Amino acid sequence: MTPSVAEVMRGCAAALTQPPSPDAGPDYFASRVGMISTLANLAAQEAEHAAAAAVAENADIRALFAQAAAHDAAHGGRLTRAAQGVDVDLTLSALDEANARLRRLLIELHERVEEVGDAALDRAILALYVRMAEGRRLQLGG
Amino acid sequence: MTGSLAERLGAYLARAWGEPVQVETLARISGGASRETYRFDAVLASGRRPLILRRDPPGSLIETDRRSEFLALKSFHGQGVAAPEPLILELEGAELERPFFVMARIDGGATASPFAPDPYAPNAAKLGEDFFGALGRIAAADPATLPIAEACEAPPLDGCWRRELDYWSGVIEADELHPQPIVRAAIRRLRRSPPPPAQKLSVVHGDYRSGNFLHDGQGRVLAILDWEMAHIGDPLEDLGWAMDPLWRHNETERVAGMLPKGEAIAVWEQASGLTVDPAAFAWWELFASVKGQAIWTSSAKEYRDGGYLEPILGFSGWLTARRHDEILAAKLAELGP
Repeated sequence: MTPSVAEVMRGCAAALTQPPSPDAGPDYFASRVGMISTLANLAAQEAEHAAAAAVAENADIRALFAQAAAHDAAHGGRLTRAAQGVDVDLTLSALDEANARLRRLLIELHERVEEVGDAALDRAILALYVRMAEGRRLQLGG
Repeated sequence: MTGSLAERLGAYLARAWGEPVQVETLARISGGASRETYRFDAVLASGRRPLILRRDPPGSLIETDRRSEFLALKSFHGQGVAAPEPLILELEGAELERPFFVMARIDGGATASPFAPDPYAPNAAKLGEDFFGALGRIAAADPATLPIAEACEAPPLDGCWRRELDYWSGVIEADELHPQPIVRAAIRRLRRSPPPPAQKLSVVHGDYRSGNFLHDGQGRVLAILDWEMAHIGDPLEDLGWAMDPLWRHNETERVAGMLPKGEAIAVWEQASGLTVDPAAFAWWELFASVKGQAIWTSSAKEYRDGGYLEPILGFSGWLTARRHDEILAAKLAELGP
């Protein structure tokens, strides 16, 4: 996902060490530090949950691909192959790469499902979107 | 360029106004993510003027036109809408090196974080009447007669939706760093089911929402801020954006933390003389969340391109992007195939 937790943490550190502009008033400085603090708190949430969320989302997308066998030929068998995938490398960067590949194929699948009017699978995809978004939730003060 | 920003600004204003100007108490403030914003006092022989400087940053959250922002302010200042008075527009940058404009400063008002719980209590309803009433008055105005027409093209009534959707889906296409199936599904849905033509052309503020205005704590809007995305289009665009769930302060009953949706629409209809067609408005509500996701997608890219140094870009690209994914997914599931 973008930005990654590593990028945000490095960004917070870099922003804190940046010399303040001579024209930055105290309110601006306080607001900026407050925003860095908020980002660091969000990064703490993300560090705790991101891997589990990515594994769960990838599994959910693969499970949906397994339901979509009727469309597999139109996608050159890629749905079946993707459905059989497993996340072995559990680093966030590897999980994100796998997630990006799955999401691209999901976009293609959804476009086709809409074109051919497969309402049942369309509903399943829309329900998957709700779970995906909820699984990635970040909360202020969380 | 030599000298401090205050000295250079003072030199510019002295040249523009033809009299000596001393710039005092200049300080950058948080205000709008697409311009550097500074408060300062200009001291002239005639007295002290409280002012705001809005200068283009090296990189910004959204690409906007400072001329259309300036002319939008000029269109509505003194016209029953709390638009601060625009004073000077400098497109070349001159002493300040980057384009900027200067406008009057409204002191004594408060802004609310769009994520703060119940920020307008106990005067939320009164404020909501002022807030949605002012939006209705903006919608009622004929843009062809206003200064903003010099900078903004008027689309055909049946082309407002397409121009906006093309622009913001293009932003996602250009700036997306990780595939986003949810917003792409929403874009396809919007294209499959376009709204009816706009009932009239209006000035669209572009970012009219909770958190983007100053209020007096007694239920009155003192200044509507951040006109940098102003354009001419369908008046329902602003209404949909103002009511987007992202700006509801985590409430379900009231929109913008102020009024129940039906009451807000009634206030807007009375002030604008227009009516809200439910089907058309449903399109603009879904579009608002797509536009939001496009802005956050762009901010995530700029956060990376800028070396991760601007925390507001990281925040927008992260928390608000994910919140809008939730909002969009819920809307799509509710609408069904």
